[in-house]
Amino acid sequence: MIARIFLTVLLSGVLLYAWKEYRLSPVVAFLSVLASCWGLYFVWVPEHATELAHLAGVGRGVDLILYTWVVISLILLLNLHLKLRAQMETITLLARSIALTNARK
Amino acid sequence: MDTVVIVIAAYNEAKVIAGVVREVVAGGYKVILVDDGSRDGTADVARQAGALVVVHPVNLGQGAALQTGIELALAEGADVIVTFDADGQHHVSDIANLLAALKTNAADFALGNRFMGGAVDMTGTRRLLLRAATIFTRLTTGLRLTDTHNGLRAMTRRGASHIGLRQNRMAHASEILHQIAASGLKFIEVPVTITYSAYSRAKGQKLTDFFAILIDLFARSLQR
Repeated sequence: MIARIFLTVLLSGVLLYAWKEYRLSPVVAFLSVLASCWGLYFVWVPEHATELAHLAGVGRGVDLILYTWVVISLILLLNLHLKLRAQMETITLLARSIALTNARK
Repeated sequence: MDTVVIVIAAYNEAKVIAGVVREVVAGGYKVILVDDGSRDGTADVARQAGALVVVHPVNLGQGAALQTGIELALAEGADVIVTFDADGQHHVSDIANLLAALKTNAADFALGNRFMGGAVDMTGTRRLLLRAATIFTRLTTGLRLTDTHNGLRAMTRRGASHIGLRQNRMAHASEILHQIAASGLKFIEVPVTITYSAYSRAKGQKLTDFFAILIDLFARSLQR
């Protein structure tokens, strides 16, 4: 039960994060919500995870949950990449403004 | 008489930039050179050769440099803006062809096309990559072009005001086509000649750059 509550809190955190990140990238937010809901479902209905894991050929249900977690991590990594891009765009605007101001002096 | 401004983006091109700028100035054109954070004195060399130089405090990439040049050219009252490579692979004589094509066809964009003109000493790998880029652009923009990554292009003031490059690096070449398609303005392809040298081949795009372009375009499509 402790593990379930712990995972639920973590996945709920991902859901909140996805809601917060919706403005930056709706696609990433949607994928995060999808993956975390998928994860929550498996945490609370693990027998379905095992059945699905057998169907998918990944062995145990816990493996499927692990894979889901890996997918969530990759999505968050993609979001981090997008944030870095957004920061680079800000730096670009700043550098351009400095360059154009100096050019007109 | 239209004011024509040639925008050149340069990064560490001190070896060749004087020759390129002098040739363009000798053709009767005003040159804006955007030094993209070079560390080899490119800005000073270009200034002495007759260019109006604008310097990025840090290296941002060719796309960012071109956007800076376009914005400065518009502020300087340009009627027509031509983007031109710094590595000496473009020919000044082609600028007149681009300008004439804009006028004759009442178009807002004239895009250089090396496959309609000439590509001297182009490697087979580059030809293959450019063909792949052409197919990709057709699929993603619907534009029926045959040379999609050619840096030699001319645009009217109206056309330039529709361009706002956000891809700092090489993906800008695809982004500009997306923006041309989105503007709904008329464009034409014009035969130009690109002469590759050992220098320009060394500075040019590599296979890995094309993957970086795809990643950049994908990441951009996820952003607002």
